Amino acid sequence: MKRLPLSVALAAFFVFLSLSVSIRQAVLLLVGVGMGAALAGARFGFTTGWRQLVEQRNPQGVAGQVLLLALASALALPLLGQFPELHAALGAPSISLLVGAFVFGLTMQIADGCGSGTLYKAGLGVPLNMGLLPLFALGSFLGSVHLDSWMALGHVAPVSLATPWGSGGALAITLALLAAVLLLVRWWVGAGQTWWSRRWVWGAVALAILATLNLVLAGQPWGVVYGFGLWAAKGAVALGAFDPTVNAFWSQEGNALRLTQTAFMDVTSITNIGILGGALLVAAGQGDDSRALTRQQWVIGLVAGFVMGYSSRLALGCNVGAMLSGISTGSLHGWLWVPLAFGGTLIGLRVRRRFGF
Amino acid sequence: MTRRTQRQLLFWTALFAFLAWDFSVSAPIDLRQEPPLIAAGSGQASVGGHCSMAD
Repeated sequence: MKRLPLSVALAAFFVFLSLSVSIRQAVLLLVGVGMGAALAGARFGFTTGWRQLVEQRNPQGVAGQVLLLALASALALPLLGQFPELHAALGAPSISLLVGAFVFGLTMQIADGCGSGTLYKAGLGVPLNMGLLPLFALGSFLGSVHLDSWMALGHVAPVSLATPWGSGGALAITLALLAAVLLLVRWWVGAGQTWWSRRWVWGAVALAILATLNLVLAGQPWGVVYGFGLWAAKGAVALGAFDPTVNAFWSQEGNALRLTQTAFMDVTSITNIGILGGALLVAAGQGDDSRALTRQQWVIGLVAGFVMGYSSRLALGCNVGAMLSGISTGSLHGWLWVPLAFGGTLIGLRVRRRFGF
Repeated sequence: MTRRTQRQLLFWTALFAFLAWDFSVSAPIDLRQEPPLIAAGSGQASVGGHCSMAD
């Protein structure tokens, strides 16, 4: 596909949103396009970065992610302290979070993409990621349907680092913890490694700025999986397969309202569409470098995509909603998410190798 | 047309069809209730859904 007609189509969609929905949603579409272009242009894959660290002792991807977290935190935490309208991504520390993050980290390696990775790779035209996107959405929906049962296993109220220590204190703690992560990585990879590569650095800077724009414009941090679950929920309701009034999550006032509204009014849906479009723009004119999968690999990849969607809701977010948005807005749940998801990744890499991905 | 282009066309057609259907069956949008462009400093708290929410 050519870039010019794609750009015209995105511009037409921007005008449509401006006239028919709201200027805010139209501008958020552009933010999403930027995110998709940055993710795909820099090949900023959270999953790939973790895999390279474990298998090749290559710290560049994780260093890029730490840079992204540090920049996003330095921008978001003062804003949250300044503007009471803005929301942090506060998730409840819970059994659900621990189980969900572990399973998510495991399956994202098999599916070769987390929430944002699946989106931008689908936009790039990678067959497995395009195929598993609907299953990811279905899993995300089912996870939200069962979320109250998972939370009943045990949880405490969300913890914000800014509550006891203020924005400045929360930022200092966050940066100190990120420095500790880099020390752990240094211990693992040893001396003599190249830590910074251009694409990871520009990707981190671009995504930190765009994530902050998302927060300032929408009033809430960047998220991915809520939009997927909403889309599948709309389909299930339309088919008569699901009654939201008897479900704890979807009968909640805000979620019930969003089921009746167009997805164009939902923040995460709009940025998700933008990410797909931005990645498609980057993919325009590029060759197809995706390799063919066997039937067994397809089945395993699709099942992993479904489980990844389900676990992303139990984990109260993916690498974006829980890790990036959680940590950068001072939520403890982001810091609980990371080690559990990394533990799952260590298993997922073995599964990945076992089936020849 | 390459196979990748065919796949992308299929994917985007399906997505467009879903979004067009959803827009046609959803409640009409009241443009007079349009939120401010920038939430920060607007005095209006965000009411959007997010994946970190458990309810």
